[in-house]
Amino acid sequence: MDFELTDAQRMFQETARQFADKEIVPIAEKVDQLGQFPRETIQKLGELGFMGVAVPEAYGGAGADTVSYVVALEEISRACASHGVIMSVNNSLYCGPLVKFGTEEQKRRFLTPVAGGKSAGCFCLSEPGAGSDAANQQTTARREGDSYVLNGTKNFITNGAEADCAIVFATVNRALKHKGICALVVERGTPGFAVARVEKKLGIRGSSCAQIAMDNCRVPAANLLGQEGEGWKIALATLDGGRIGIAAQAVGIARAALEASLSYSKQRVQFGRPVVANQAIQFMLADMAMEIDAARLLTFNAALLKDQGLRHTKESCMAKLYASEVAMRAGIKGVQVFGGYGYMMDYPAQRFMRDAKVTEIYEGTSEVQRLVIAHDLLS
Amino acid sequence: MNIIVCIKQIIDPEIPTEQFKLDPTTQRQIRGGLSLVISVYDQNALEVALQLREKQGGKITALCLGDSGATGAVKSALGMGVDNGVLVSDPALLALDSFGVAHVLAMAIRKIGVPDLILTGCVSGDTGNKVVGPLIAEELSLPCVTFVTRVEVKDGKAVMRRIVEDGYELVEGPLPAVVSILSDDSNVPRYSKLKDIMVAAKKQVPIWKAADLDLDGAKVGAGAARLELRDVSIPRRESRCEMLDGDTPEGRAEKLALRLRELKLI
Repeated sequence: MDFELTDAQRMFQETARQFADKEIVPIAEKVDQLGQFPRETIQKLGELGFMGVAVPEAYGGAGADTVSYVVALEEISRACASHGVIMSVNNSLYCGPLVKFGTEEQKRRFLTPVAGGKSAGCFCLSEPGAGSDAANQQTTARREGDSYVLNGTKNFITNGAEADCAIVFATVNRALKHKGICALVVERGTPGFAVARVEKKLGIRGSSCAQIAMDNCRVPAANLLGQEGEGWKIALATLDGGRIGIAAQAVGIARAALEASLSYSKQRVQFGRPVVANQAIQFMLADMAMEIDAARLLTFNAALLKDQGLRHTKESCMAKLYASEVAMRAGIKGVQVFGGYGYMMDYPAQRFMRDAKVTEIYEGTSEVQRLVIAHDLLS
Repeated sequence: MNIIVCIKQIIDPEIPTEQFKLDPTTQRQIRGGLSLVISVYDQNALEVALQLREKQGGKITALCLGDSGATGAVKSALGMGVDNGVLVSDPALLALDSFGVAHVLAMAIRKIGVPDLILTGCVSGDTGNKVVGPLIAEELSLPCVTFVTRVEVKDGKAVMRRIVEDGYELVEGPLPAVVSILSDDSNVPRYSKLKDIMVAAKKQVPIWKAADLDLDGAKVGAGAARLELRDVSIPRRESRCEMLDGDTPEGRAEKLALRLRELKLI
């Protein structure tokens, strides 16, 4: 068992780290405080290939493996969790299903521009009434000739306000329950497809979280991914990969909290010595470091299984569940290490804590992750 | 035009200072586990080479003298887009002074084939030495221009912007030549594109030993060192805070300016 990164993986990590340190760290606080989509840095990331890391080169991507993607995503997320989720959604939730289920024509039209960084994508599954109960799709797709007409509302869509393309889930027949769900690609500007609102969030404030309204939105039947009724299978397969991305994002956030806490506690002097001299602080840092390493290893495990083409549902759930809870604990400990300054918006500890919380919720809440793992154990 | 860029792998200057340690017996930097990078100005040199290739065509080779781990530096250079890379690595060549280093690099350049242009960083990112470029030129009997930020090639000649104390001068010189590169807005090292990294990762980096080069034992053997390292230490950093008073911002600013001048900082 070789735990060393390959040359390519190491270089991906180095490039991501350099870019993150020089281009993202200096703007991360402003992105958070203004709630601004970081257009310029996202474009640069796209030009370097970070928006389609594991997409084959023939379709504009870097043609790399999932482990390379995970190490790069951790570095980007360490600098800014908003950049991390924008990158993760683009890669895992948009490019992922197109690579796996798209036809040649669909890949050429919808995958290549996004993988190459020229445009952005989003994944529209959640609805006001369909969060954890994602199969309870109310958005309908009515076949009319060589089109589908979409009606419904999608909720909490990351990249929703900026995406040029969306993968939208809708049902052709509610009576069929999950077997009626389809996945279709919808391009921005399609009449009847609109961003209804953009949410104000507790964290990852640089990424947009939009409500999308579809009102008799006519989409060519050629935009159907896979077959009618395959949508649920596509969603689940996509989320397996998406969870690996979020696990990497969470590891990055946790690491940011640890690094900031380590640095601060060496400088802050109380009772005549740096606070890091106190075992109470050392124990917090030790726990953070240990949990981050464990979370990273779970993430690598899921990534490796995916790269080998093996089933990885349980492992990606474990990685996402554990890493998100580690990020939350690290975020809270980080604020505690900073003491009073941890509570102040001028210091970074609060941002890591706020950013961490959503990782326990999106792409499957911690409760759903536990259900899936238990189901796997019991089957 | 063909270019060779000489690069060195150093400890990342951005690491927290407390992680940087010296071995008390050998007085060498302890590298284990630390982040290693291509020396900063060598990265600028790679960028200059890449820009020249975009205009003139040709091939770029990254040449590195280092320990076996320095393959990573050569691969990073390949990831930036250079065509080939060579590592010279041999335990007998690890503790050379600048003269020894320049001799080894010059002989490796002869083995590759003296190109149209040889670039180096103008200052070593860890030791602060500035002489390897000129010494390579001396070994190869080539002209050398140092502290250059920009290189253009016109009618087979190099036109270089060379930084001097109060500005810059334009220097024209014949090729082949050795040019040492200083950083500038025009040569900010590019980030590696991920697909270039994938290509680079598959490339083999040949590793040459001392025996593969026609080295002069008098220049690299035992007792060949012309410089003796007597002492190396990590400077103690202290911070002191001096408060300047004044009734108005203008008054305090004037006091600050005068104090900075007293300290010879401006």
